[in-house]
Amino acid sequence: MFSYKKRLQYPVNIKKKDLRMAKYLVTQYGGSNGELAAALRYLNQRYTMPDAKGKALLTDIGTEELAHVEMISTMIYQLMKDATMEELREAGLDTHYAEHSKALYPTDANGVPFTVAYFATTGDPLADISENMAAEQKARAVYENLIDLTTDPDVLGPLLWLRQREIVHYARFKELFEHYEKMIKNGQMSKVNMMDQVNQNPNNIIFNDMNNFLRD
Amino acid sequence: MNNYNYLNDEWYKSLPKEYSFRNISNMNNINPSLVTPTEGYNRGNMFANLYSQYKNYRPETLRASNEQERLFLELSRTHFAAHELNLYLDLNPNDVSMIKLFNDYRERCEQLTKEYEQKYGPLSIKSDSLNQTPFMWEKSPWPWEDRFNV
Repeated sequence: MFSYKKRLQYPVNIKKKDLRMAKYLVTQYGGSNGELAAALRYLNQRYTMPDAKGKALLTDIGTEELAHVEMISTMIYQLMKDATMEELREAGLDTHYAEHSKALYPTDANGVPFTVAYFATTGDPLADISENMAAEQKARAVYENLIDLTTDPDVLGPLLWLRQREIVHYARFKELFEHYEKMIKNGQMSKVNMMDQVNQNPNNIIFNDMNNFLRD
Repeated sequence: MNNYNYLNDEWYKSLPKEYSFRNISNMNNINPSLVTPTEGYNRGNMFANLYSQYKNYRPETLRASNEQERLFLELSRTHFAAHELNLYLDLNPNDVSMIKLFNDYRERCEQLTKEYEQKYGPLSIKSDSLNQTPFMWEKSPWPWEDRFNV
Protein backbone atom coordinates (compact mmCIF):
# COMPACT_ATOMS: atom_id res chain seq x y z
CA MET A 1 0.00 0.00 0.00
CA PHE A 2 0.98 3.61 -0.22
CA SER A 3 1.07 6.24 2.49
CA TYR A 4 1.41 9.99 2.08
CA LYS A 5 4.08 12.34 3.38
CA LYS A 6 3.30 16.05 3.60
CA ARG A 7 6.61 16.94 2.00
CA LEU A 8 7.92 17.44 -1.53
CA GLN A 9 10.92 15.33 -2.52
CA TYR A 10 12.71 18.59 -3.47
CA PRO A 11 11.50 22.11 -2.58
CA VAL A 12 9.33 24.07 -5.03
CA ASN A 13 8.77 27.75 -4.21
CA ILE A 14 7.91 29.71 -7.34
CA LYS A 15 7.21 33.35 -6.56
CA LYS A 16 6.65 34.72 -10.09
CA LYS A 17 3.68 33.64 -12.19
CA ASP A 18 4.55 32.50 -15.71
CA LEU A 19 1.62 31.23 -17.75
CA ARG A 20 3.65 30.25 -20.79
CA MET A 21 6.01 28.14 -18.67
CA ALA A 22 3.00 26.47 -17.01
CA LYS A 23 1.74 25.60 -20.47
CA TYR A 24 5.05 23.97 -21.46
CA LEU A 25 5.65 22.30 -18.11
CA VAL A 26 2.33 20.43 -18.14
CA THR A 27 3.86 17.93 -20.57
CA GLN A 28 5.95 16.51 -17.71
CA TYR A 29 2.63 15.92 -15.93
CA GLY A 30 0.42 14.45 -18.66
CA GLY A 31 2.68 13.99 -21.71
CA SER A 32 3.95 10.69 -23.12
CA ASN A 33 7.36 11.13 -21.45
CA GLY A 34 5.96 12.73 -18.31
CA GLU A 35 6.15 11.73 -14.67
CA LEU A 36 2.59 10.37 -14.45
CA ALA A 37 3.19 8.02 -17.39
CA ALA A 38 6.47 6.87 -15.83
CA ALA A 39 4.97 6.27 -12.37
CA LEU A 40 2.01 4.28 -13.64
CA ARG A 41 4.04 2.36 -16.24
CA TYR A 42 6.62 1.15 -13.70
CA LEU A 43 4.04 0.31 -11.06
CA ASN A 44 2.05 -1.56 -13.72
CA GLN A 45 5.04 -3.48 -15.12
CA ARG A 46 6.40 -4.66 -11.78
CA TYR A 47 3.98 -7.58 -11.30
CA THR A 48 5.51 -9.62 -14.12
CA MET A 49 9.18 -8.90 -13.47
CA PRO A 50 11.02 -12.25 -13.34
CA ASP A 51 12.98 -11.71 -10.14
CA ALA A 52 13.12 -9.75 -6.89
CA LYS A 53 15.56 -7.17 -8.30
CA GLY A 54 13.11 -6.09 -11.00
CA LYS A 55 10.11 -6.05 -8.66
CA ALA A 56 11.99 -3.98 -6.09
CA LEU A 57 13.46 -1.47 -8.57
CA LEU A 58 10.18 -0.88 -10.42
CA THR A 59 8.29 -0.47 -7.14
CA ASP A 60 10.84 1.98 -5.74
CA ILE A 61 11.38 4.06 -8.88
CA GLY A 62 7.62 4.00 -9.63
CA THR A 63 6.97 5.35 -6.14
CA GLU A 64 9.58 8.08 -6.57
CA GLU A 65 7.93 9.10 -9.86
CA LEU A 66 4.70 9.73 -7.91
CA ALA A 67 6.69 12.23 -5.84
CA HIS A 68 7.83 13.85 -9.10
CA VAL A 69 4.20 14.11 -10.27
CA GLU A 70 3.58 16.08 -7.08
CA MET A 71 6.58 18.37 -7.72
CA ILE A 72 5.53 19.10 -11.32
CA SER A 73 1.90 19.63 -10.25
CA THR A 74 3.07 22.05 -7.57
CA MET A 75 5.14 23.97 -10.12
CA ILE A 76 2.20 24.28 -12.54
CA TYR A 77 -0.14 25.30 -9.71
CA GLN A 78 2.24 27.97 -8.43
CA LEU A 79 2.98 29.34 -11.92
CA MET A 80 -0.77 29.70 -12.63
CA LYS A 81 -2.49 30.54 -9.39
CA ASP A 82 -2.36 34.36 -9.53
CA ALA A 83 -3.08 34.68 -13.26
CA THR A 84 -5.63 37.22 -14.49
CA MET A 85 -8.08 36.36 -17.25
CA GLU A 86 -6.14 38.61 -19.61
CA GLU A 87 -2.87 36.78 -18.88
CA LEU A 88 -4.55 33.41 -19.39
CA ARG A 89 -5.84 34.60 -22.76
CA GLU A 90 -2.44 35.94 -23.77
CA ALA A 91 -0.71 32.65 -22.97
CA GLY A 92 -3.35 30.67 -24.86
CA LEU A 93 -4.61 29.10 -21.63
CA ASP A 94 -8.13 30.48 -22.16
CA THR A 95 -9.08 27.13 -23.71
CA HIS A 96 -7.74 25.38 -20.60
CA TYR A 97 -9.78 27.78 -18.46
CA ALA A 98 -12.93 26.98 -20.43
CA GLU A 99 -12.62 23.28 -19.57
CA HIS A 100 -10.92 23.27 -16.17
CA SER A 101 -10.71 26.87 -14.87
CA LYS A 102 -7.46 26.91 -12.84
CA ALA A 103 -7.54 23.24 -11.93
CA LEU A 104 -4.72 20.97 -13.02
CA TYR A 105 -5.33 18.60 -15.91
CA PRO A 106 -2.80 16.11 -17.32
CA THR A 107 -2.10 16.91 -20.98
CA ASP A 108 1.02 17.40 -23.05
CA ALA A 109 2.23 20.89 -24.02
CA ASN A 110 -0.16 20.85 -27.00
CA GLY A 111 -3.19 20.03 -24.85
CA VAL A 112 -3.42 16.33 -25.85
CA PRO A 113 -4.91 14.56 -22.81
CA PHE A 114 -3.05 11.82 -20.93
CA THR A 115 -3.75 8.30 -22.17
CA VAL A 116 -2.98 4.82 -20.81
CA ALA A 117 -1.37 4.05 -24.17
CA TYR A 118 1.72 5.59 -22.53
CA PHE A 119 1.92 2.54 -20.22
CA ALA A 120 3.59 0.52 -23.01
CA THR A 121 3.82 -2.87 -21.31
CA THR A 122 4.59 -6.15 -23.09
CA GLY A 123 5.26 -8.51 -20.17
CA ASP A 124 8.69 -9.24 -21.67
CA PRO A 125 11.28 -8.00 -19.16
CA LEU A 126 13.86 -6.98 -21.78
CA ALA A 127 11.28 -5.09 -23.85
CA ASP A 128 9.72 -3.44 -20.78
CA ILE A 129 13.00 -2.37 -19.20
CA SER A 130 14.39 -0.99 -22.47
CA GLU A 131 11.11 0.93 -22.87
CA ASN A 132 11.82 2.45 -19.45
CA MET A 133 15.42 3.27 -20.35
CA ALA A 134 14.16 5.14 -23.42
CA ALA A 135 11.49 6.87 -21.34
CA GLU A 136 14.10 8.18 -18.88
CA GLN A 137 16.24 9.49 -21.75
CA LYS A 138 13.23 11.16 -23.39
CA ALA A 139 12.21 12.77 -20.10
CA ARG A 140 15.79 14.02 -19.67
CA ALA A 141 15.68 15.57 -23.15
CA VAL A 142 12.32 17.23 -22.41
CA TYR A 143 13.69 18.63 -19.13
CA GLU A 144 16.57 20.15 -21.12
CA ASN A 145 14.09 21.74 -23.55
CA LEU A 146 12.17 23.16 -20.59
CA ILE A 147 15.38 24.47 -18.97
CA ASP A 148 16.12 26.27 -22.28
CA LEU A 149 12.67 27.93 -22.07
CA THR A 150 13.08 29.65 -18.68
CA THR A 151 15.43 31.99 -16.83
CA ASP A 152 13.57 31.95 -13.47
CA PRO A 153 15.91 30.38 -10.86
CA ASP A 154 12.86 29.14 -8.88
CA VAL A 155 11.86 27.08 -11.93
CA LEU A 156 15.40 26.11 -13.00
CA GLY A 157 16.31 24.60 -9.61
CA PRO A 158 13.65 21.85 -9.59
CA LEU A 159 14.05 21.23 -13.37
CA LEU A 160 17.81 20.68 -13.06
CA TRP A 161 17.20 18.40 -10.08
CA LEU A 162 14.53 16.34 -11.84
CA ARG A 163 16.82 16.02 -14.90
CA GLN A 164 19.44 14.35 -12.67
CA ARG A 165 16.84 11.90 -11.42
CA GLU A 166 16.22 10.79 -15.03
CA ILE A 167 19.96 10.14 -15.38
CA VAL A 168 20.14 8.05 -12.20
CA HIS A 169 17.00 6.07 -13.08
CA TYR A 170 18.33 5.40 -16.58
CA ALA A 171 21.56 4.01 -15.08
CA ARG A 172 19.62 1.73 -12.71
CA PHE A 173 17.33 0.43 -15.47
CA LYS A 174 20.39 -0.19 -17.66
CA GLU A 175 21.96 -2.28 -14.87
CA LEU A 176 18.73 -4.26 -14.55
CA PHE A 177 18.55 -4.74 -18.32
CA GLU A 178 22.13 -6.09 -18.41
CA HIS A 179 21.35 -8.36 -15.46
CA TYR A 180 18.38 -9.89 -17.33
CA GLU A 181 20.40 -10.22 -20.53
CA LYS A 182 23.03 -12.15 -18.58
CA MET A 183 20.38 -14.35 -16.95
CA ILE A 184 18.97 -15.25 -20.35
CA LYS A 185 22.43 -15.95 -21.78
CA ASN A 186 23.18 -18.25 -18.85
CA GLY A 187 19.84 -20.02 -19.25
CA GLN A 188 18.65 -18.81 -15.84
CA MET A 189 15.52 -17.16 -17.13
CA SER A 190 13.47 -20.03 -18.49
CA LYS A 191 9.69 -20.23 -18.18
CA VAL A 192 10.07 -22.64 -15.23
CA ASN A 193 12.26 -20.17 -13.34
CA MET A 194 9.81 -17.38 -13.99
CA MET A 195 6.93 -19.48 -12.64
CA ASP A 196 8.98 -20.24 -9.53
CA GLN A 197 8.93 -16.53 -8.82
CA VAL A 198 5.13 -16.40 -8.87
CA ASN A 199 4.82 -17.99 -5.45
CA GLN A 200 7.65 -19.65 -3.65
CA ASN A 201 5.54 -21.05 -0.84
CA PRO A 202 5.65 -24.86 -1.34
CA ASN A 203 2.35 -25.23 0.55
CA ASN A 204 0.59 -23.16 -2.05
CA ILE A 205 -1.70 -25.41 -4.07
CA ILE A 206 -1.48 -23.27 -7.18
CA PHE A 207 2.30 -23.28 -6.94
CA ASN A 208 2.39 -27.11 -6.77
CA ASP A 209 -0.11 -27.45 -9.58
CA MET A 210 1.94 -25.09 -11.68
CA ASN A 211 5.13 -26.99 -10.98
CA ASN A 212 3.50 -30.32 -11.76
CA PHE A 213 2.11 -28.84 -14.94
CA LEU A 214 5.53 -27.54 -15.97
CA ARG A 215 7.19 -30.88 -15.16
CA ASP A 216 4.67 -32.81 -17.30
CA MET B 1 34.53 14.43 -6.01
CA ASN B 2 36.35 11.19 -5.31
CA ASN B 3 38.64 13.03 -2.93
CA TYR B 4 35.80 14.70 -1.06
CA ASN B 5 36.45 14.78 2.67
CA TYR B 6 33.22 13.59 4.24
CA LEU B 7 34.22 14.55 7.74
CA ASN B 8 34.44 18.22 6.78
CA ASP B 9 30.96 18.29 5.32
CA GLU B 10 28.49 20.49 7.22
CA TRP B 11 25.97 17.67 7.24
CA TYR B 12 28.32 15.35 9.11
CA LYS B 13 29.41 18.14 11.40
CA SER B 14 25.77 18.70 12.35
CA LEU B 15 25.41 15.13 13.59
CA PRO B 16 25.48 14.46 17.33
CA LYS B 17 28.92 13.45 18.62
CA GLU B 18 27.80 10.00 19.70
CA TYR B 19 26.55 9.31 16.21
CA SER B 20 28.39 6.33 14.75
CA PHE B 21 29.19 7.97 11.41
CA ARG B 22 31.69 10.37 12.87
CA ASN B 23 33.72 7.53 14.33
CA ILE B 24 34.34 5.93 10.98
CA SER B 25 37.93 6.90 10.28
CA ASN B 26 37.80 7.12 6.51
CA MET B 27 34.42 7.56 4.86
CA ASN B 28 36.03 7.43 1.44
CA ASN B 29 36.53 3.72 1.89
CA ILE B 30 32.78 3.12 2.00
CA ASN B 31 32.24 4.04 -1.59
CA PRO B 32 34.51 6.43 -3.41
CA SER B 33 31.83 7.27 -5.96
CA LEU B 34 29.33 8.62 -3.41
CA VAL B 35 29.01 12.32 -2.63
CA THR B 36 27.66 13.63 0.70
CA PRO B 37 23.92 13.99 1.37
CA THR B 38 24.34 17.78 1.22
CA GLU B 39 26.01 17.75 -2.18
CA GLY B 40 23.86 14.87 -3.42
CA TYR B 41 20.57 16.54 -2.47
CA ASN B 42 21.59 19.82 -4.13
CA ARG B 43 22.42 17.88 -7.28
CA GLY B 44 19.61 15.33 -7.23
CA ASN B 45 22.26 12.63 -7.61
CA MET B 46 24.35 10.89 -4.93
CA PHE B 47 26.67 9.16 -7.39
CA ALA B 48 29.67 11.17 -8.60
CA ASN B 49 30.17 8.90 -11.61
CA LEU B 50 26.55 9.38 -12.75
CA TYR B 51 26.44 13.18 -12.43
CA SER B 52 26.26 14.99 -15.73
CA GLN B 53 25.92 18.76 -15.92
CA TYR B 54 23.63 20.39 -18.50
CA LYS B 55 25.37 23.23 -20.38
CA ASN B 56 26.81 25.61 -17.76
CA TYR B 57 23.96 25.19 -15.27
CA ARG B 58 25.12 24.54 -11.71
CA PRO B 59 22.74 22.99 -9.18
CA GLU B 60 21.10 25.34 -6.72
CA THR B 61 22.68 25.41 -3.24
CA LEU B 62 19.81 24.94 -0.81
CA ARG B 63 20.10 26.99 2.37
CA ALA B 64 17.97 27.15 5.48
CA SER B 65 17.16 30.53 7.00
CA ASN B 66 15.71 29.44 10.35
CA GLU B 67 15.60 26.48 12.74
CA GLN B 68 12.50 24.88 11.16
CA GLU B 69 14.00 25.09 7.69
CA ARG B 70 17.31 23.71 8.92
CA LEU B 71 15.64 20.65 10.40
CA PHE B 72 13.41 20.19 7.35
CA LEU B 73 16.36 20.47 4.94
CA GLU B 74 18.43 18.00 6.92
CA LEU B 75 15.50 15.58 6.90
CA SER B 76 15.09 15.95 3.13
CA ARG B 77 18.81 15.41 2.52
CA THR B 78 18.97 12.32 4.69
CA HIS B 79 15.82 10.86 3.21
CA PHE B 80 17.16 11.45 -0.29
CA ALA B 81 20.50 9.81 0.52
CA ALA B 82 18.72 6.74 1.94
CA HIS B 83 16.47 6.57 -1.14
CA GLU B 84 19.43 6.70 -3.54
CA LEU B 85 21.09 3.81 -1.69
CA ASN B 86 17.73 1.99 -1.67
CA LEU B 87 17.68 2.00 -5.50
CA TYR B 88 21.33 0.90 -5.64
CA LEU B 89 20.74 -1.92 -3.11
CA ASP B 90 17.74 -3.23 -5.07
CA LEU B 91 20.29 -4.32 -7.67
CA ASN B 92 23.25 -4.95 -5.34
CA PRO B 93 21.68 -6.63 -2.30
CA ASN B 94 24.99 -8.05 -1.01
CA ASP B 95 26.96 -4.80 -0.72
CA VAL B 96 27.69 -4.86 3.02
CA SER B 97 29.13 -1.35 3.35
CA MET B 98 26.26 0.21 1.40
CA ILE B 99 23.73 -1.62 3.60
CA LYS B 100 25.49 -0.18 6.63
CA LEU B 101 25.41 3.33 5.16
CA PHE B 102 21.75 2.93 4.13
CA ASN B 103 20.84 2.00 7.69
CA ASP B 104 22.76 4.95 9.11
CA TYR B 105 20.79 7.32 6.86
CA ARG B 106 17.53 5.49 7.55
CA GLU B 107 17.92 5.69 11.34
CA ARG B 108 18.98 9.33 11.18
CA CYS B 109 15.93 10.06 9.03
CA GLU B 110 13.64 8.48 11.63
CA GLN B 111 15.22 10.62 14.38
CA LEU B 112 14.92 13.82 12.35
CA THR B 113 11.29 13.09 11.40
CA LYS B 114 10.37 12.54 15.06
CA GLU B 115 12.14 15.73 16.10
CA TYR B 116 10.50 17.78 13.31
CA GLU B 117 7.00 16.46 13.94
CA GLN B 118 7.30 17.07 17.67
CA LYS B 119 8.22 20.70 17.09
CA TYR B 120 6.28 21.64 13.94
CA GLY B 121 3.45 19.17 13.34
CA PRO B 122 2.85 15.97 11.40
CA LEU B 123 4.52 15.04 8.10
CA SER B 124 2.78 11.67 7.99
CA ILE B 125 -0.44 10.20 9.36
CA LYS B 126 1.49 7.93 11.75
CA SER B 127 3.05 10.88 13.60
CA ASP B 128 2.87 11.05 17.41
CA SER B 129 1.93 14.72 17.04
CA LEU B 130 -1.58 13.63 15.98
CA ASN B 131 -2.40 12.75 19.57
CA GLN B 132 -4.13 16.07 20.33
CA THR B 133 -7.23 18.15 19.62
CA PRO B 134 -7.93 19.58 17.11
CA PHE B 135 -6.75 16.92 14.65
CA MET B 136 -3.42 18.26 13.41
CA TRP B 137 -3.23 16.45 10.07
CA GLU B 138 -5.24 19.09 8.22
CA LYS B 139 -3.74 21.98 10.21
CA SER B 140 -0.15 21.71 9.03
CA PRO B 141 0.46 23.25 5.57
CA TRP B 142 0.21 21.29 2.33
CA PRO B 143 3.43 21.01 0.36
CA TRP B 144 2.16 22.82 -2.74
CA GLU B 145 1.25 25.86 -0.68
CA ASP B 146 3.78 28.50 0.28
CA ARG B 147 5.71 27.03 3.11
CA PHE B 148 9.35 27.97 3.30
CA ASN B 149 12.42 28.04 1.14
CA VAL B 150 13.69 24.51 1.51
